[in-house]
Amino acid sequence: MSNGLNRRRFLGIAGASVLGLPALFRPARAQIEPARRLIVFYFPDGVAGPSADGEPSLWATRAGAPLPDQLAALTPHRDACLFLNGLSMGGTDEGSHPGGARKLLTGADGGGGRSLDRVLAQTVGADRPHRHVYLGAMANWNGASGDKHISYPEAGFTTPPWDDPVEAFERLFAGQVGPAGPDPAAERRRRLRLSLLDGIRGELADLKAGLGPGERARIDLHVEAVREVEQRIQGMAVERDPEACGQGPEGIDRGQLYAPEQFPAVLAAQTELLVQAMACGLTRVGVIQASHHTSELIMSRFAGTEMYDPGFDMRSHQASHYGPRHDFNRREFHDYFAQRRWFVQQYARVLDALAARPEGDGTMLDYSLVLLCSEVSDGNTHAHRDMPFILGGRGAGRVRAGQVLQADGARHAGLLAAIGQAMGADLPRFGDTGSEALPGVLT
Amino acid sequence: MRRLTPLLWIGLLAACTEAPGVDVPARAFLPDAARPGDARATDADAGPPRDAGPPGSDAAAVAPEAAELYARLCAACHGPLGEGGAGPALTRLGDRDRAALADRIDRTMPTTDPTACQGACADLLAGLILDTFSQDPADCVATGVPRRVRLLTRREYANSLKDLFFFDQVECAPATFRLDLGDRQPRTVHVAGSFNGWPGTVAAGGLAMARIGGVYQASADLPAGRHAYKFVLDEAEWIPDPGNPLAEPDGFGGQNSIIEVPPCEAPPDPTAFTAGIPPETRPEGFAFETHVTSGRVTAVHLEAYLENAERAARAALARGGAWLPCAAAEAGCPERFAAEVGARIFRRPLTDAERARYAALARDEGFEPALTALLASPGFLYRTERGAPAGDGHYRLTGHELAAALSYFLWGTTPDAELLAAADRGDLDQDAGLEREARRLIASPRAAEALGTFAVQWLGIESLPTAAKSAELSPLFGDDVRQALLDQTRDFVRAAFFAPDQGRFATLLTAAWAVPDPRLAALYGAAAGSPAPDGRAGVLGQASVLATYAHSDQSSPIRRGLFVRQKLLCQDLPPPPPNAGGVPDVDPSATTRERFRQHTDDDFCRSCHQYIDAVGFGFEAFDAIGRHRTTENGQPIEGGGDMNDVEGLGTGTRAPYLDLATLGAVLAESEAAPACFAVRLRRFALGAREGVADRCAVHALQARFADSGGDLRDLLLALVTSPEFTTRVAEAP
Repeated sequence: MSNGLNRRRFLGIAGASVLGLPALFRPARAQIEPARRLIVFYFPDGVAGPSADGEPSLWATRAGAPLPDQLAALTPHRDACLFLNGLSMGGTDEGSHPGGARKLLTGADGGGGRSLDRVLAQTVGADRPHRHVYLGAMANWNGASGDKHISYPEAGFTTPPWDDPVEAFERLFAGQVGPAGPDPAAERRRRLRLSLLDGIRGELADLKAGLGPGERARIDLHVEAVREVEQRIQGMAVERDPEACGQGPEGIDRGQLYAPEQFPAVLAAQTELLVQAMACGLTRVGVIQASHHTSELIMSRFAGTEMYDPGFDMRSHQASHYGPRHDFNRREFHDYFAQRRWFVQQYARVLDALAARPEGDGTMLDYSLVLLCSEVSDGNTHAHRDMPFILGGRGAGRVRAGQVLQADGARHAGLLAAIGQAMGADLPRFGDTGSEALPGVLT
Repeated sequence: MRRLTPLLWIGLLAACTEAPGVDVPARAFLPDAARPGDARATDADAGPPRDAGPPGSDAAAVAPEAAELYARLCAACHGPLGEGGAGPALTRLGDRDRAALADRIDRTMPTTDPTACQGACADLLAGLILDTFSQDPADCVATGVPRRVRLLTRREYANSLKDLFFFDQVECAPATFRLDLGDRQPRTVHVAGSFNGWPGTVAAGGLAMARIGGVYQASADLPAGRHAYKFVLDEAEWIPDPGNPLAEPDGFGGQNSIIEVPPCEAPPDPTAFTAGIPPETRPEGFAFETHVTSGRVTAVHLEAYLENAERAARAALARGGAWLPCAAAEAGCPERFAAEVGARIFRRPLTDAERARYAALARDEGFEPALTALLASPGFLYRTERGAPAGDGHYRLTGHELAAALSYFLWGTTPDAELLAAADRGDLDQDAGLEREARRLIASPRAAEALGTFAVQWLGIESLPTAAKSAELSPLFGDDVRQALLDQTRDFVRAAFFAPDQGRFATLLTAAWAVPDPRLAALYGAAAGSPAPDGRAGVLGQASVLATYAHSDQSSPIRRGLFVRQKLLCQDLPPPPPNAGGVPDVDPSATTRERFRQHTDDDFCRSCHQYIDAVGFGFEAFDAIGRHRTTENGQPIEGGGDMNDVEGLGTGTRAPYLDLATLGAVLAESEAAPACFAVRLRRFALGAREGVADRCAVHALQARFADSGGDLRDLLLALVTSPEFTTRVAEAP
């Protein structure tokens, strides 16, 4: 996909264009202007944190010191990142991958509730054609389901991401590209669809008769979906620039979406796609899920990386059980460390892509938030403390980028609350403990 | 940071396996326990995890709060129904003093965090254990499944479209021949051509023509392509077709007539109409796509449903066919269309309001928008299980709801005309009528279709097509081999259920089989059609299973042992402790069995691995893609395993075995394996996990299955005629 966008031909839907806007939203006015978008970037099986034998974390960042080797790829963006040390997700199920995945975006110790990305999608994200975009790379492999996915549209219920960038592109950008002017056939189709959705809404109301609250809640989600799709159809009549908003992924073999050799290309395509969709005003809230917890992804098949070894299959989860110590002479730890560095590089690519696109008087990175996360801290101990969160992007000046925040023992729900507030949501508290915004995150 | 100490795990396991003063009885079965921490939040049955009640029940006889606490805090070790697991069974404590039991729970349970349940919590659980678990299953009454709606799975959706619009039927126009001879009436006239071998007589295969309305006529289904032909009069006079200008020299100085037969219209692939619908979500540990409460419609789903409805409607109308009740121009057709097509799509008569709405749509906008709307409607996408009041707070499913429930379970698709007619007549409102229709469906070959899906999900081999295999093994394990392996297992399970001389549970685990496909000859080391060698029998010896429960580059005694424990015996174990270490280092001079010996040499590891490795080692004669081997890394494979504790962890039995056929026999003869199978089929049918309140129904099903000698078809019948299938209760508020 092309990174280069033509500024002059770049159009968004009404009012959403990120280019050509007057300097209304400069960071100087950050106190009233929220961050415009949130990307959550998830990777599986934690990092080289505090070891079982008590060695200190190889992830924790110190102010004024060079970034730890695992995070080296972030050095160019250091000023645009808030590094959070010592956050805890609570003690329930500590030691469990799925237990961590359930807490990660819900902020609820033990799981429960909607995840932050879904809450924002239904509030500050509701003015975009796609309230929520959930993209994966091999995230549905091996029938992964349930708590292997991190985004909870409803308490206790996840939905799978799109693992196919070509399909995701078609679905995100369908109807978004094309000449202006009345097309009677398209207009009729739109009208019929709206009438059809209206009929569905009525039938869903009938369907609820006699059902209990749990079943009614399932149907309510369907009703919510009707509203969202209605809104999307009504907003379709806007012209878009095919060059800026029609760059589909190239070079992806759709028959090999679950071949580990292609994983880096798929992840890169999903990253580019999400940033493009945001640049074109299609969505404010996106989640990129790389694989899933306890990942069987054979990372030793990534050609051209330091992990590459075609004669030996080293999987993410296999490497994460590297033993009680940080021993670089042990193959598992050596590879685990290299894998984590690679995931951070992929996160850095998200920041790169945002920084490459001008917005206001800066770049998209100045107006965005990009949360890096994994479901456990150290991959061997599976601890739910010392969690590896990094908040990238300057969020329209709403967050203290470039800092290191020592948050020993504080619950990560406070970070999620702060992100919600930075996005402009009315979210004074978040998570099962009703955590307020973590001090030190917001400006 | 606080270290997660192995000591804590040792404590847990010691408590689980050696709880003093509590008998560890043999049990009929152990449904897989939710793992610690998974019990509540992974089971989307229950809505918000903190409020989770036992799925699939209203817990009328069980305090919902106690059931929730039990599921959250206890089930991982003691089993979802108190039958035991890594911890002792709780079903024989009826003579205990409640206060003393509560005190013990207060002080010591759960072992992972003895402070997690004290006071009222401990008392509630003591009550549950004494009042519910200790009750004789024969004395308790099933409480039932809540009133609900079920979203069609993608498979059900595609199958329904196929059957609604006959998408599976190939449309071919027959080739027709006409010959006008005026008044001349030969004794015989026939067509001879390249398609039938130029026969000189009708007896030799000539296509006889009949004189109809003064013209000789015949028609035949011919293969697509170009055919030469002549007419033969009185089996002597060969003439070209005077009415056909297409001709070519016949090589004898005359002409052959030529007919071009167009290819039959290929039916649309119904799975093309599920494009973009996300895969079904299932909670951890629930193997089947039928999980009801996971069926939820997000905007992504909805948009896919709209697009697929538009495409399916367009394709169905373009093909036309017998499903259309009338011609569009006919008076009253919009009304008939709405009523008749609507009733087939919704699997029930439409209400007056629905009929009026869809008829108006057909009249005002056209049949395609009306059909699109029907196919995108909740009336098609959901099948209701709300029922009608039947007293005592129970609701019996309506006849049409039962027709759908029967058909989607047994055939994986929408009810056929006969079943809908039975519902229309009210036959299904009576148990006798229900059973008659159930028997008809079970006896039909179409039942095998749905059972194929059950087979791959029961065994957990769905992901075989994309399973990673090493660079060395991949060339031997291509897409065609994987597909052939899935087909083999599906067909094998179908045959075990439905082949005329089969139908017993033991067949699944013990039956000898032949290599079914030439593509598998190399893998199995035997030609297609010849008996599978190397002690392979039942599903255990099939490479679909062996390759799934393996790593990309090596076998996995752990995965294979857990497969037997969890999938075949419903015996679950806690997940490995965090600091457990992964697969032992690859040692080029050692066998896998030697590398894993630490598990049994180390007390801590052994507490769980005694139940896993001994079983899994018996599979070591098969490598990561299921090929037989006698050596590994130059060392001979040490054959054989031990199917220990087959009736339950901690029961202490041993059953050494040398090959997988023997292992299959041990399992087939156990009580635990058929009991587990019944629970699995129940999950597939009901789309819900069994909870504390379902224990009576589960026990009844298992008892009938055992009494029948493992009769698989009777198990299907038992499921669909059980109150769990036919009645619902109000969802707990």
